[in-house]
Amino acid sequence: MPSSLLIRLLLVALAPAPVHARLAPADIDRRVRTEWRRQHLVPAPPVDDARFLRRLWLDLAGVIPPPEAVTAFLADRAPGKRARAVEQLLESPRYADHFTQLWENLLLGRQAPGGVVDRLAFREWLHAQFADNRPWDKLVYALVSATGVNSDGGLRNANPRQAVRAAVLSASSPEPAASAPDANKNGAVNWLLKYTQNPPDLAGAVARTFLGVNIQCAQCHDHPMEKWKQDDFRRFTAAFVRTAPMPIDEGQAMGIRRVALRDLPAPVALGPKKSELGEIVAAHPTALDGTDLLAAPGGPRRALAAWITASENPWFARATVNRMWAHLTGRGFVEPIDDFRRSNPAVMPELLDRLAVDFIASGYDLKQLIRTICATEAYQRSSARTRDLERATRHFARHPLRPLAPNALLDSIAQATGLEAALHKQAPANLERVKAQLLSQLTFLFDVDEEPRTSSFEGTIPQALLFMNGILVNAGASALPSSTLERVLALPGGDLEKVAALCVCTLSRPPSAAESARWVVYVQAPHEVVKRPPAPAATADPLDRAAARLRLPEPTAKQQAYEDLFWALLNSSEFFFNH
Amino acid sequence: MERRRFLELSASGLAGLLAARLAARSAPARAASRRGPAPRARACIVLWCNGGPSHVDTWDPKPGAPFRALRTRAPAIEICEHLPRVAAEAHRLAIVRSLSSREGNHDRAQFLLHTGYAPNPTVAYPSLGAWVSEELGAGGADLPGFVSISGPSAGAGFLGVAHGPFVIPNPSQPPQNLAYPSRVDFVRFARRRSALETLEQGFANETGDARVQARRDLLGKAIRIMYSTRLRAFDLQEEPDSVRAAYGDTDFGRGCLLARRLVEAGVRFVEVVLDGWDTHQNNFERTKRLMGTLDPALATLLAELFERDLLRSTLVLCLGEFGRTPSINANEGRDHYPGAFSAVLAGGGIRGGLVHGATDEAGGKVVTPPVAVADLFATCASLLGLDPALTMRAPGGRPVALTDNGKPLHDLIESS
Repeated sequence: MPSSLLIRLLLVALAPAPVHARLAPADIDRRVRTEWRRQHLVPAPPVDDARFLRRLWLDLAGVIPPPEAVTAFLADRAPGKRARAVEQLLESPRYADHFTQLWENLLLGRQAPGGVVDRLAFREWLHAQFADNRPWDKLVYALVSATGVNSDGGLRNANPRQAVRAAVLSASSPEPAASAPDANKNGAVNWLLKYTQNPPDLAGAVARTFLGVNIQCAQCHDHPMEKWKQDDFRRFTAAFVRTAPMPIDEGQAMGIRRVALRDLPAPVALGPKKSELGEIVAAHPTALDGTDLLAAPGGPRRALAAWITASENPWFARATVNRMWAHLTGRGFVEPIDDFRRSNPAVMPELLDRLAVDFIASGYDLKQLIRTICATEAYQRSSARTRDLERATRHFARHPLRPLAPNALLDSIAQATGLEAALHKQAPANLERVKAQLLSQLTFLFDVDEEPRTSSFEGTIPQALLFMNGILVNAGASALPSSTLERVLALPGGDLEKVAALCVCTLSRPPSAAESARWVVYVQAPHEVVKRPPAPAATADPLDRAAARLRLPEPTAKQQAYEDLFWALLNSSEFFFNH
Repeated sequence: MERRRFLELSASGLAGLLAARLAARSAPARAASRRGPAPRARACIVLWCNGGPSHVDTWDPKPGAPFRALRTRAPAIEICEHLPRVAAEAHRLAIVRSLSSREGNHDRAQFLLHTGYAPNPTVAYPSLGAWVSEELGAGGADLPGFVSISGPSAGAGFLGVAHGPFVIPNPSQPPQNLAYPSRVDFVRFARRRSALETLEQGFANETGDARVQARRDLLGKAIRIMYSTRLRAFDLQEEPDSVRAAYGDTDFGRGCLLARRLVEAGVRFVEVVLDGWDTHQNNFERTKRLMGTLDPALATLLAELFERDLLRSTLVLCLGEFGRTPSINANEGRDHYPGAFSAVLAGGGIRGGLVHGATDEAGGKVVTPPVAVADLFATCASLLGLDPALTMRAPGGRPVALTDNGKPLHDLIESS
């Protein structure tokens, strides 16, 4: 008996591991380390706890961690606290809020298209998906194949300013609907409605976003090196021209016009550019691998959605894994993340494939994918200087620096300064308007494209001026009631404690001993109070007016020194980048 | 360049020196140093017709079309009847009617006409304005080298954010946030900057990342603008009413006036955007209205630059991302047409009063050797004293030339 048991054990040990065995973070680490050795790369040291937590919050919650979270995390001595932090964030409402915002920006762009596109309805739909951790294949199928009514109609979201305002509101607290909900309402259609007059852009977005394939350059001409031809693009796009919005609201409806998005038996061309769509309307709907989309029942769009999300699709899982890996580690296996093609090879392609297989086996579980990646050494490298920095960063041996997205920057400044609480106290009625103004100002100063294709945007001169001299940072760095600085200055203890607290609030880490010493000297250095000029210029700024209304006591020299330090921390690259 | 040397000198200690060196190494570097041609222009103004203007309804009129052709002050040039004031300045213009590209999508074509390259996801090509800012620096010393009025333009790509466009959303409004916030004065601002500089030095040392240096450069530029003595260039109220009226009571007209003032203040590259040329519907009504905006602005700009003896040293370029179909669609519109389109050049060493290239009777086919966008860029670069083959090494080591093998159009260039 023992011998047969031994044989059985041996057989089990020698059998090839089934491909769907869960990929452990340690397996990924092993593969990545092998690659580092092969490439003669010296990895950056592991990231420390405080910097890990900041990175994790920015990646999963879109904002820097509150100081209490930093302190608690650093004080936690039990093993496995990093994994627990991942779990807590994934289970917090912030995760769904943040991913909703990311995908809303990616899919709808930052501009509110208005008319028939109900941004709030789309957001609610997305939020429900992320809150339920809906399997990614199901989510994408529902999105690409969506039919139904776009909106409850009514006045909400009626003008762009309100739309921007809505964008700053937490996605978890939608405004109540204006009228009774329609049984056929499907918020997902609003993304398709953005493109009803422009199917080529929709086809391009679908391929780029969900398959990581850039086929739209074939809209105008055959690509010289790649395999996509104009005909491929037309046939792919043809899957989207049998869909049209049917008006529900007659005449000049207030706010969002209600329409029902329906599939039609025959192709149509809509909108001002329809004369350009002739060849697309005439094309036979076909997937990128030649699969006939017209043969399937249910129409070519559903057939396409099924083809995209099938486990055999060679791009879908890879593109998703690559996107999530890039979101977390700062770089994809394939870069740019939406440009999979033979002449743009992946780094560590076997690992990408293995992760994709694992993602499919998990039932396209996004949270599981995030858990896995966040537990890897690759995610937990620091951004410290390394030899051969560019190459090390490209192979995940060093964490890159990424500028915070506009939303994350605004939310992080609000978080660091306590500005939100301060505004709430001063001008609750104006809070959303003020935030919307700030966000639109910020977004304008950031944006070169509506849907930026690169993350390489370190800012512009107007943006730098806004942060140095604008009201946002300067009001934020002042000791308004309920602000961070007011609370820090009221802390027990001396300058050492206060300097440390300010550092935790902004950089999400305690200062080093040298830094503490330097900043204590800085705030203690003697200097004169700078007073407001006797006749302040009339300003339309609500924050300034609020401060004037409160008749706050003139700040002391010490308080101003703290404001100066706070200002410098908020303008620093360590704050500005996710690192 | 100046700044980098300054940093190396002032960085305290070996660590600082090393940091500056490392940052310099991963930043874009010139691959080969070649002397450019002798400069004819010291500045460039681009009037960008966003959306793709119909070439046959503007600069390349055709017999039998809804708009008539107008004879101009230059015997060789006929342009659309709705550009009468430009017609009176036509002896200063060189019109290229044989541009041709393959990019019929707005984003891609706008990228091509701003950078000289079709988009390539693996290279962040800089726009021409960024090249000029990088190579020629800010002529106005403390003002930015590259300003974009009313439009976002295109960025600096791998040349780094410090060479990206300084965007003025509205020409009537001076740039925002240039003054100290309340209760901050020179001394206090200097204290703030010293704290920030300490933090930046620390983070640059910790990460060794070129992005930190790029951001420091950007902040440095922003601060120099705050202290610039030339900021009054942004104040159009200094101009007499008659001058402002001559440019037209439009944002675009004011943008052109501001462009002239910025060039006088030393800015090297100014782009002014006139949006709305994507006329899939009502092409004729809309194009006519847009020409009503363009006509006084362009004509006055040329006349004023000439009167102030700036035209010789200022290259003016007027173009959009592509032309439009000769055929008229069901909505009285014209659709995208990259196969044939026109660009207008003046000043800065351009020989006036000539037409380069031609299209067929309908305007649908270039019948002379087609001009590539790269050739147009090579022409502009040469006039600005830049070698069209000037090559920089993008991060990652890939060499990228200023133009994509562009050859200057020598017949457009005045013999010196």
